[in-house]
Amino acid sequence: MSAPTLREDLVELQVDSVTLAFGGLRALDDVSFTVEPGTVHALIGPNGAGKSSCFNVISGVYRATSGRVRFGDTELTGQRPHRLAKLGIGRAFQNTALSPHSTVLDNVMLGRHALTTGGFLSCGLRLPWTVRQERRHTERAVEICEFLGLGKVLHAPVAALSYGAAKRTDVARALAIEPTLLLLDEPAAGMNAVETAEMAATIRDLRDALGISILLVEHDMNLVMGIADRVTVLDFGKRIADGTPSEVQADPEVVKAYLGSGSEDA
Amino acid sequence: METFLQLVVNGVGKGAVFALLALGFVVIFKATEVVNFAHGSLVLVGGYLVVVTRDSLGWVGAAVVGIVSAGLLAILVERLLLSRSKLADANSLALLTIGLDVIITEEIVRRLGVTVPFLGEAWDAQPIQVGGLTLFRTHLVAIGVGAVLVTAFFLAFRYSDWGVAMRAQAENREAAALMGIRSSRVTATAWLVAGLLAGVAVLFIATQDFSGSGLSRGTHSIALAAFPAAILGGLDSTAGAVVGGLVVGLTEALSAQYISFDFSKSAVFLVMLVVLVARPSGLFGTRESTRV
Amino acid sequence: METTTLIPTGPPATRPRRSPARLVRAAAWIALAVLLAALPLYIDTAWLKAGQYMMIGAVGAIGLTLLTGQAGQLSLAHAFFLLVGATAYTVLAGPTDEERVIGLGLDPGLALMGAVLISALVGLAFAPVAGRLRGIYLGVASLSLVFLGLYFGQSLDSLTGGTSTGRTPATFELFGFPFSNGGPEIEVLGVPIRQAERIWYLFLVLTAIAFVLARGAVRGRVGRSWRAVRDNEAAATAMGVGVARAKAGAFAVSSAFAGLAGVMTVLWFDILKPDESEYGTYGINVSIAFLAMVIIGGLGSVPGAVVGALIVNGLPQALTLFSGDLGWFGETGGGGLTPILVSSFIYGAAIVVVVLFEPGGLAAIGRRLTGLFRARPREITREETS
Repeated sequence: MSAPTLREDLVELQVDSVTLAFGGLRALDDVSFTVEPGTVHALIGPNGAGKSSCFNVISGVYRATSGRVRFGDTELTGQRPHRLAKLGIGRAFQNTALSPHSTVLDNVMLGRHALTTGGFLSCGLRLPWTVRQERRHTERAVEICEFLGLGKVLHAPVAALSYGAAKRTDVARALAIEPTLLLLDEPAAGMNAVETAEMAATIRDLRDALGISILLVEHDMNLVMGIADRVTVLDFGKRIADGTPSEVQADPEVVKAYLGSGSEDA
Repeated sequence: METFLQLVVNGVGKGAVFALLALGFVVIFKATEVVNFAHGSLVLVGGYLVVVTRDSLGWVGAAVVGIVSAGLLAILVERLLLSRSKLADANSLALLTIGLDVIITEEIVRRLGVTVPFLGEAWDAQPIQVGGLTLFRTHLVAIGVGAVLVTAFFLAFRYSDWGVAMRAQAENREAAALMGIRSSRVTATAWLVAGLLAGVAVLFIATQDFSGSGLSRGTHSIALAAFPAAILGGLDSTAGAVVGGLVVGLTEALSAQYISFDFSKSAVFLVMLVVLVARPSGLFGTRESTRV
Repeated sequence: METTTLIPTGPPATRPRRSPARLVRAAAWIALAVLLAALPLYIDTAWLKAGQYMMIGAVGAIGLTLLTGQAGQLSLAHAFFLLVGATAYTVLAGPTDEERVIGLGLDPGLALMGAVLISALVGLAFAPVAGRLRGIYLGVASLSLVFLGLYFGQSLDSLTGGTSTGRTPATFELFGFPFSNGGPEIEVLGVPIRQAERIWYLFLVLTAIAFVLARGAVRGRVGRSWRAVRDNEAAATAMGVGVARAKAGAFAVSSAFAGLAGVMTVLWFDILKPDESEYGTYGINVSIAFLAMVIIGGLGSVPGAVVGALIVNGLPQALTLFSGDLGWFGETGGGGLTPILVSSFIYGAAIVVVVLFEPGGLAAIGRRLTGLFRARPREITREETS
């Protein structure tokens, strides 16, 4: 793929004083941080800290009670969630959320949905432009799969893949929308040490090769500290730290939060 | 006003019967998350055995045979087919029951041939006149029997070992299993209860007072109205099934009078649609039947 | 616990085909086309009618497999949309000067397209309801359309002709060429091409169009969005698929196919006659028969739907035609075995067997068989994926 230069169309993602309340419960309390263009930004915290809630606010699954999320000049809060793909925000899922009986390539091609056009009749009639479009986008999807080491399993159903390969298929699908910002939800969840190391390498490669911004929610501290440029730490829905990995690691509040939770398994 | 009261009584009478059927659906759904599309064929089998044994056993004996065989058939379906398919999910099993329903219904309809036998009643068919109202005894008996069975069911559901185990299983299957609840027994009992209730219901459906028609393919169609009853009440709500049954009975009786007889069946389904659009999991339902 | 769902068929995604395999495939399709085109020259009218009936099933089943198999929306409303298509065609093409019933006197070709369009629109109108419901809830909710159809069929007799007499549809014509015994006399190899033969070719073309459209859609962008909505709405949304729109689209498309099957039905019977009960030409039994076709064929599989239709719609026809020779069957209604009864037993049992033993239906069996002849290893091991 291309040389490790930043893409020019990158914009920053600003999470600005976001509060999310379910009834009386505040899942997020006045959380702010900024994902700078071209960085790997990690959102960490103990179980129940509000990482996933924050992720879901950004990706439009939940609507923030107050505060805003901006992507460059675009206000994300209140956007219909399926518009995000068109804005260049790709998302990979913690539970992969793939179609198990479809092939790897078919799953990844779904990522091209927002970049392509055509309804029932043009697909059904296989109009020349539809066929050309399909071929062109398939080539790109294959390229993305190969980049993620899925070249040999393009036509395998996802259900037949190893867990690690399924996770990479999910990432490939998110990349297929040609995102300028990639959201990764616990990319190493459920992985063994070898697979986690592979995933870390993949994420670094992505940033370097594609020059895009990456926001990842992660539980595995080793993975985060190895690859993140910047880390935001949440605890009980509040931001307790924000800085470089080394700054955050030295922060007494963070240490307390993690030791206190007793759920750190890394 | 008198007409209206009359219709309400008729509607509640029919509703009591639909409630019994809907309760069966709900019990099966709670135990297994399977929607039993073969419920109508349980009704037919129960009714058919009444017809066959009535001459030799008398009405009461035949009714017992019919009820018990509907229950046994339900258990057989669960034990021989559904419980053996550990790999299929609930929605696939619902489709399986459609296949089963086709087979059983066609066979009973074949056996009935050109006959459309009424099941007869053990009570006097003469309507009772109460202050200008004409009350059909079948409806009154249905209301009485329905009330007794529904009460008995709720008591059993609340206090019996089966009821407790059943509710635990509906809440959380894994946890219930860990607590030593034998899922297979709970499930089989649920099917038995549903089958017995269907067997009772048919005693009322295939009568002159209720449908004006004997046992036939039409009986199966009437039993179909238990679907909207169960769905609009909420598939996982036993109380919802009873309310749903009454709503369906009343809707059918009122719309047949005030709109048209042909429309009454559609009216039932329309009411269900309206409820579903407002509350996708029914009036009292707590969860949607989702595939994850 | 790992469970399998009956809604599994993936797409036959663009697989890089080596040219010999491609040639074999093309040759097989051409052979099939030639065979089907030549059949009217060799088989008699009764069998042609049977074949036409199977094609009606195929068109409807293709529509249902797109909706239920690909888009994951269980529908028992298919028979209703058959009635919509059948009525729409009869009204649009009907003569304008009849006293009892309404007709718009449109060209039958246009009327056919109009009927398909109207069916799609009616399907679209139900989509907001369908979009809110899932699984079994949707299945039962869709059943209400069949009951509405029953009611409207009976009450709107100026459109449908009513249950007692029904009404006769206009003869289908294309550019003035009638698909009846009238018009120019044609003979091929000494066989006169009359109504049965002409309708055969018409249905063959319609079925082929339905098949090609559905297959193309399944393999393309639309099919992917349907499967995504079926398998995971959150993921579909994140990839830019408007879930409500995709579901509504699938419902409209499926209804259009059903509407076309309805037009074919009315041409086949040569009468539009609404049902008197829930059991009839457009009744619950028909919705269930279509569901049986797509389950037996393998949910989501277009060729599977066609084979399922051959079985479910073909069996009663074939058994009837054979029964004269075999003397198996008693009189209808006499409590004996009729062809319709026997085929109901068979497809009922087939549904049970498919759910219990082969959730992918015939399509899965077919894939396994072709897999035997393919060099590519089917199982993917861990090593291969890294």
